Amino acid sequence: MTVVALRLAGPLQAWGSRSRFVRRETEKAPTKSGVIGMVAAAKGLRRTDSLGELPDLRFGVRIDQPGQLLRDFQTAQRPKKEKDGTTSWSSLPLSQRYYVSDAVFLAVLEGERGLVEGIDEAVRGPEFPLYLGRRSCPPAGPVALGVYDRGLEEALASLPWVASTRSQRRHRANTVRLATVRDAHPDEAEGELVQDIPVSFDPNRRQHAWRTITRGTVEIDNPHGTAEKGEEHDPMASLGG
Amino acid sequence: MFLTKMPLNPRRRAARKLLGSPQALHAAVQAGFADPSPTEEGRVLWRLDTYGQHRVLLYTASPEKPDFTHIVEQVGWPTTEAWQTREYDGLLESLRPGQHWQFRLTANPVHSARREDWSDTKPLAHVTVKQQEQWLLDRIPRLGFQLVTTGSDGEAAPDLAVVERNNRRFNRRGSDPVTIATATFEGQLEVTEPAALRHALTFGIGRAKAYGCGMLTLAPPPRKGSA
Repeated sequence: MTVVALRLAGPLQAWGSRSRFVRRETEKAPTKSGVIGMVAAAKGLRRTDSLGELPDLRFGVRIDQPGQLLRDFQTAQRPKKEKDGTTSWSSLPLSQRYYVSDAVFLAVLEGERGLVEGIDEAVRGPEFPLYLGRRSCPPAGPVALGVYDRGLEEALASLPWVASTRSQRRHRANTVRLATVRDAHPDEAEGELVQDIPVSFDPNRRQHAWRTITRGTVEIDNPHGTAEKGEEHDPMASLGG
Repeated sequence: MFLTKMPLNPRRRAARKLLGSPQALHAAVQAGFADPSPTEEGRVLWRLDTYGQHRVLLYTASPEKPDFTHIVEQVGWPTTEAWQTREYDGLLESLRPGQHWQFRLTANPVHSARREDWSDTKPLAHVTVKQQEQWLLDRIPRLGFQLVTTGSDGEAAPDLAVVERNNRRFNRRGSDPVTIATATFEGQLEVTEPAALRHALTFGIGRAKAYGCGMLTLAPPPRKGSA
């Protein structure tokens, strides 16, 4: 099994799986449709093109730095030229847009070697610009982390912590427990259903299929941990008896 | 003198009050003695050592044996773990020049200074780690010990570390809130004047001794090679 690892970090990210009308929500972790869409953009696929084998890749994310939920109350107005030359403005629907701010995620796609290497290459030199779930959310720093000969679960549990140095320092402990969200195995009984497998990104006929996800946690070393397992100072030890 | 060690259970409700306010813990410790006033031997000193969320130890040094039943009932494990009290005098008598000990001290490092508009000087807390270390280094000659230096000749430094710092602010009946800055020092010392060190161990170091500051304790030094 081969995986390609992506580091999704930016001031703002938005990963919606059930946005309707003017309320544009975000999940707390990247969605499969969002990441597949980003990969498809990197490969130069247009929205009406077929996604090919991309939706069949197994997908998992690790929440390396959870960030914070941010709500944007968005107003917009449309200009209209009147016959007398003046401009009048009419309001567009008010919308609530949700973002995760200051978050870092590790996203992993598992599949055949050739396909996975193609993704890594495309992300390094994208055809269309990359963005993190919404066009206004560009990634901070390189996205591609490389291709690894590991399974999905193993990659999520073994790849180093990619949170910012600042937040790693703040954690102090020498290991951290990070939440993961990944595709469930077909034989796993427990799971949560989200409408998150991209079938078509065609603007006129967007389609998403249902996906079963499994949540878990993994323990990762903190390279900037400063906690020393200090030995207890025991004054009773010198008193005998 | 007696040294007492008691584990506290921070998950109990009363712990919020007792661990949250040095004033409350001071009262609880004092209540453990029929007569808590200082004697010629020494005074009541206490210290709270926190080694994790669920590992909190209360140490006291006192001229008399304490009875901490009331503390155990409120914030201890009444049926399994009480407190251990040991004779301190054996150790105090056995101090000899040249001995090496690990030490731990929680103190309230202050200096006296005057601010603008103040008519008089007042004790003000040392703020940085460096100031707090210097505070201890300045008074070590009077305490009957010196620090063991570690490291090779080029980078030899006294074995002293500030392992914890705190700003405690709590209420005291009938007065404005009290604020004390504490620093917990750990290191290795060599005894030079046993009598002076004995005094430091039984009477404490620095200010705020009622509020868990100033209690110095000794533990056997680390075995050679393991440090």
